[in-house]
Amino acid sequence: MTLADVKPGQSGKIVKIQITGALKRRLMDMGVVAGTVVRVEKVAPLGDPLEVQIKSYQLSLRKAEADKIEVEAVR
Amino acid sequence: MIIEEEKNKSGQGAASNHRASFVIAVAGNPNAGKSTLINAMAGARLQVGNWPGVTVEKKSAEFEYEGRRIILVDLPGTYSLSPYSQEEVIARDYLVHERPDVIINVVDATNLERNLYFTLQLLELEIPLIVALNMYDEAGQKGFRIDTAKMASMLGCAVVPTVATRREGVDRLIETAVEFAESSNRREMMAVSYGEDIEKAVRSIVEDMKQHGAELVNHGPSRWQALKIIETDEIVLDEMGISADDNFLKQATHHLSKAHGEDLETLLADTRYALAAGLTREALKKPETRKRELTERIDAIVLNRYLGIPIFLFFMWLIFKLTFDIAGPFTEWFDAVISGPLTHWSAAVMTLAGAPDWAISLVTEGVIAGVGAVLIFLPPIFAMMFFITFLEGSGYMARAAFVMDRMMHAIGLHGKSFIPLLLGFGCNVPAVYATRTLENPRDKALTALLIPLMSCGARLPVYLLFVGVFFSAYAGTVLWSLYILGIILAVMVGWIFKKTLFRGEAPVFIMELPPYRMPTMTSLLIHTWEKGKHYLIKAGTFILAITICIWFGLNLPWGVESKRDSYLGHIGQAAAPVFAPLGFGTWEAASSLITGVIAKEIVVSTMGEVYTPKDGDDKEKNAPSVSEELKQIGVSFVGAVGKAVGNVFSTFGIATISMEEEEGTESLKTAIKKNFTPLSAYAFMAFVLLYVPCFIVLVAMRHEFGTWKWAGVTIAYQSVLAWTVSFIIYQGGTLIGIG
Ligand SMILES: Nc1nc2c(ncn2[C@@H]2O[C@H](COP(=O)(O)OP(=O)(O)O)[C@@H](O)[C@H]2O)c(=O)[nH]1
Ligand SMILES: [Mg+2]
Repeated sequence: MTLADVKPGQSGKIVKIQITGALKRRLMDMGVVAGTVVRVEKVAPLGDPLEVQIKSYQLSLRKAEADKIEVEAVR
Repeated sequence: MIIEEEKNKSGQGAASNHRASFVIAVAGNPNAGKSTLINAMAGARLQVGNWPGVTVEKKSAEFEYEGRRIILVDLPGTYSLSPYSQEEVIARDYLVHERPDVIINVVDATNLERNLYFTLQLLELEIPLIVALNMYDEAGQKGFRIDTAKMASMLGCAVVPTVATRREGVDRLIETAVEFAESSNRREMMAVSYGEDIEKAVRSIVEDMKQHGAELVNHGPSRWQALKIIETDEIVLDEMGISADDNFLKQATHHLSKAHGEDLETLLADTRYALAAGLTREALKKPETRKRELTERIDAIVLNRYLGIPIFLFFMWLIFKLTFDIAGPFTEWFDAVISGPLTHWSAAVMTLAGAPDWAISLVTEGVIAGVGAVLIFLPPIFAMMFFITFLEGSGYMARAAFVMDRMMHAIGLHGKSFIPLLLGFGCNVPAVYATRTLENPRDKALTALLIPLMSCGARLPVYLLFVGVFFSAYAGTVLWSLYILGIILAVMVGWIFKKTLFRGEAPVFIMELPPYRMPTMTSLLIHTWEKGKHYLIKAGTFILAITICIWFGLNLPWGVESKRDSYLGHIGQAAAPVFAPLGFGTWEAASSLITGVIAKEIVVSTMGEVYTPKDGDDKEKNAPSVSEELKQIGVSFVGAVGKAVGNVFSTFGIATISMEEEEGTESLKTAIKKNFTPLSAYAFMAFVLLYVPCFIVLVAMRHEFGTWKWAGVTIAYQSVLAWTVSFIIYQGGTLIGIG
């Protein structure tokens, strides 16, 4: 399952980031690291990007990137 | 006052020596309150320049403190010392290479974990560090209890709670900074431990570096460097002259990467975040129950599936209206004062002094007109920078980008591109300045290139003239079609640029949505003022120079009788055949288009001059007396203020798009009727919409990007586009028999 599959209002725990290079580094620097719980808050009115809560702040990213972040479900 | 001024001097007995001056760098995550804190520390003494080589703003401030000169540097917000954006590169390079005497790390107390992740990296630079625990008021409102003493002892640096917007804790912050800068004691700062394996590798790399000699050691503290080598940080490796497949590097990291399945960069980032989480757990007590916060409640509405876009459009409409409604009366006032009293006073004074006619003309039509051209853009630039700064400081700008990103992404732009483009409909000049909200140089350039396709207010008089002559029956539809034409072409051109000039991976959209906050009036005013000032000085000089050049073009060779014989007239005649396939291949039309580069509405006045030459002295009606005019200037200024205020309160009717005013005199209209057909008139209007923007836009591009490159690209692509589109309209129309 990836972050793009998580429904608004639900959470996932990050398992792995399937991205490399500078972009991965950027995501990690913004708190997207394995073991962190992310909650999907909203989808933008036109269907993309997503707003997620991570490390107690709001982050927005496009589905294309979210789809490369593996998560496991948390209830 | 929520912060008690504690009087415990941490540096008691520490050896200290008074220093004449020193530098404090203010670093931290975006939106942590760095700029506000600097304003609070240094008052309004902020200076805004550019970082060398780039157009990112460099803000610094100098102030006196008990006989010392303290220089504060506002670094661009950054999440990490591994930079991602151009701005982050600047912050990183400054810290690593310039090595300020003290770093004040502004930490958002409501978001400790992510902020401390950066703090941990700053500690590794081994520069005296003070944590300004900002937003302490908000943390209090959330019921956060932060043990600052514990935090300080864990981090091994000073922690000073602050509320930048209210100047709380600021004096103590300055005192602490001075103390840190002057103390010769080395402080035991916290060293992040990355585990035995990594630490062993760090030690051996440090050893190796010592043996390799000084050139390796000189780019930052050696432990930091060793860690960066393990992370294979490309910038550091580059600075040290190590290539990615260097033996040194392979040796250093070989067994580590073997032992740890995943890459080492991830390992280090994970370790730092784990530590930041640990520190947060130790120092921060959150209340059991979490309140639904203001930001969440606002976002529930503002980012709502159905309401999100209408609300965004409403805000944009409001800003557009306020910008041009407030600025409009002042622009008119500048225009009236400069073209009226100022012009004929100078003419009168020069006549008295016995100056020749050409000199008077040079001063009034060249210099003063140039000053006027600069000044009339000042009100919209001020007004717009004010609102843009407000949008950013309040946190709404990020939401606007969030809401619009999908649409903008489709044409290769960023969500934040929408606002500059929209402002372009009012005036392209401030719109170009509004691209500063885009961090990425690619997004910024592409947005600026498309702005001139947004039909600005100055093109309207040209449309009105032609629509009035040829299309009065369906004026609204024809006008609307021109605006839509511009938008459709922008989408197409954006797409083409995305595939050609800006080929390659479009930058991704990873953006924080900061909590809503009220920006302070001082910071809004400072920013507005700085932008206006820069426009006046930097862009103003160019604009003045170009206006004078154009005057020479219109008046040389000396003593030309008609504009047709001037240099510009000659150019017009030479250029006319180029426009023949478009339906308006006359020297009159060509000359009007050439002078239209000054400002598009000048197309109308030039047409007036070349189609209906006047007897010369109709300007000098019986001139009112000087005192009368002085009074008039004052009265009309008060009137402008009143009008601006009135505009703000009157909800409808954007002043610039009123259809009542018909442009042009009757004789001009007759001449146009004779020289154009409806089809060639429409082709001409499309040409005016699309051909090069006024040169002030070009100067603004130069100013904003620090190079003429994008202005050049604009001229090139717009000329081609305008010609092609007008050609298609005219020839196509002729073919199907509309002509
Ligand atoms: N409540 C509160 N707001 C603050 C404080 N410091 C800054 N702000 C607000 O936070 C926003 C971002 O501040 P700014 O100085 O632009 O952040 P920067 O990006 O770090 O330079 C602005 O709206 C400020 O008015 C503070 O201590 N308390
Ligand atoms: Mg700032």
